[in-house]
Amino acid sequence: MSASPLAARRDLLALVLDSLVPAGDGFPAGSVALEHVLAMAAASPDVASMFERALQAIDDATGGFARLGADERERALGRVEEAHGAPFDALVRHTYDGYYSHPAVLGRLGLEPGPVQPRGHRIESAELPDLGRVVARGPLYRPA
Amino acid sequence: MTAGSASDRVDVLVIGAGAAGAAVAWRLASSGIRVVCLEQGDWVEPRAYPHWRDDWELHRHTDWSAEPNVRRLAQDYPVNDAASPISPLMFNAVGGSTIHWSAHFPRFRPSDFRVKSLDGVADDWPIDYGTLEPYFDLNDRMMGVAGMTGDPAYPPKSTRQTPPIPLDTLGVTMARGFDRLGWHWWPSDSAILTRDYDGRRACVNCGPCDLGCPIGAKASTDVTYWPKAIKAGARLVTRARVREVTLGPDGLVDGAIYYDRDGRERRQPASAVVLAANGIGTPRLLLNSRSPRFPDGLANRSGQVGRYLMFHPYAIVRGVFDEPLGGYRGPIGCSIISQEFYETDVSRGFVRGYSFQVARGLTPIASATGGSIGDRVAWGRGHRRAYDERFDRTITVAVIGEDLPEAHNRVDLDTALADTNGIPAPRVTYTLSENSRRMLDHGIARAREALAAAGARAVAVNPLLRPGGWHLMGTARMGRDPATSVIDAEGRCHDVPNLYVVDGSTMVTCAGVNPTSTIQAVALYIADGMIRRRA
Repeated sequence: MSASPLAARRDLLALVLDSLVPAGDGFPAGSVALEHVLAMAAASPDVASMFERALQAIDDATGGFARLGADERERALGRVEEAHGAPFDALVRHTYDGYYSHPAVLGRLGLEPGPVQPRGHRIESAELPDLGRVVARGPLYRPA
Repeated sequence: MTAGSASDRVDVLVIGAGAAGAAVAWRLASSGIRVVCLEQGDWVEPRAYPHWRDDWELHRHTDWSAEPNVRRLAQDYPVNDAASPISPLMFNAVGGSTIHWSAHFPRFRPSDFRVKSLDGVADDWPIDYGTLEPYFDLNDRMMGVAGMTGDPAYPPKSTRQTPPIPLDTLGVTMARGFDRLGWHWWPSDSAILTRDYDGRRACVNCGPCDLGCPIGAKASTDVTYWPKAIKAGARLVTRARVREVTLGPDGLVDGAIYYDRDGRERRQPASAVVLAANGIGTPRLLLNSRSPRFPDGLANRSGQVGRYLMFHPYAIVRGVFDEPLGGYRGPIGCSIISQEFYETDVSRGFVRGYSFQVARGLTPIASATGGSIGDRVAWGRGHRRAYDERFDRTITVAVIGEDLPEAHNRVDLDTALADTNGIPAPRVTYTLSENSRRMLDHGIARAREALAAAGARAVAVNPLLRPGGWHLMGTARMGRDPATSVIDAEGRCHDVPNLYVVDGSTMVTCAGVNPTSTIQAVALYIADGMIRRRA
């Protein structure tokens, strides 16, 4: 079985994702979302088509995205976003989905990576603000 | 078709196992009435919830979406909502949409039942707050409510079952904003346990109640009413999709035809039928139940079935703060409520009013994609900074306005769309009224003030939330006049006295608060009437 058109362009896709979310401040670059993005494309022909259109537009706009420097890549992506809003937006949103569910990113955000159950979150017990002012206004409802 | 025999006949057939159906089934079965409930969904196993998975948040927009048109599970039916700016949300399972709800649990207020008398708009209910008060209390005990008494926005309430959910830094910050303005606020009544209660565990503040609660701390009716209803003798049949309610030669309903989980057509005979399929599912079922006596749909001589659809139109106002607020932890839909602008003041330019429902902050993915406002964080080299300025630094204030009933807002049947059993799907036609628009605009402006008073440095707004049709109401409404309503003050259809409606369809007006507490109180009140008349 041949690889999907998108999987065959995973190197380009990874570069694009890294430009959408550059590494920095201890956070990984966007290509940590690559497997998620490919999985979404594999699960939906509509999503795959959007991503392919976005990549094609990037190719057409740059004639070789990999050759460009960081500034040029960002400017090129800006032009693609302007001309091909819907497919580009789909790619960005799925990148964010994959990126901000990745354990390395969640850990860097200060969250415990992994499922929210059974651990939950600890909330320090805090006194309620004084409700005396609210109560002192008397009934706020209309008798009926 | 597998015909139901005389021995299969039950006293009451309940259709739908959600908030209202569960309450009615429990109440009736506890009184010795033979009850069977048909539910098109299934039980949700605790381990099936996404909370146990690393990628839990991704499921909010796929298989755990609250939108049936997005989720598209086998037990869902499609809804044509192309002619509505608000998409209906629902879930088909034991527990119904309480599986997905945020469990914000305010009651309607006394004035909500007297809208015509007090404000000259819409209609009065044929029942009042005083009539429902014991049922509010009973329902609170069954569901388990976290909160505190003393709220001056309501007549005195009975003791809440557990203390309020924690306000955390976020709730306290917003409360201070309301205090600075001198406005009302109170910790939300929430159907979420903060202490163990009635065999259920306390909440661990994991956050995404909207994806369900895998530990049963949130009061979905699969963990509250249903275990008790089944113990009392009610029989619950899952993956049973009702096609039509059938009419006997005497003009009374005598059961329903449904498809079982294997797609076989079956019949369930019954002496009475209770519809609890939500404000879209119930009119859909009535309109699909045609007969020579009711060619336009069962109990629809008046032509009112499906009309007067009300949503709660939501505007979302989100403030961004400089300091971390802990908004990713704690029950997502609840912290505090303000009813400062709830009662009518015509100087505001609209009648009736609204509440502020202060929810938690944005979860990690929603912080990037913009959540219910959709303003995704910029990509590129500015991304990191822009994201950090938003994550854990937002408070969301939802403006939930009272929608007035209008006949042209309606549910009818789609001529082309159908579910997997070939049953015609519902079509929703809805226009936001000028009164609702003015109300939301007022709420947006006041929410901006409140967020600024709380210290927000920036505010973003969604003036009307499209995937915000959580509350489906009014489509088989209660009233004394058979020409302008579908059911009477006891929940019986004017046209067919052994056919009852108990879900959000019953609502004459929709108030400016979440409706489930009131829907369930009305359902229990109707059930008691059935018991009384049988005695």
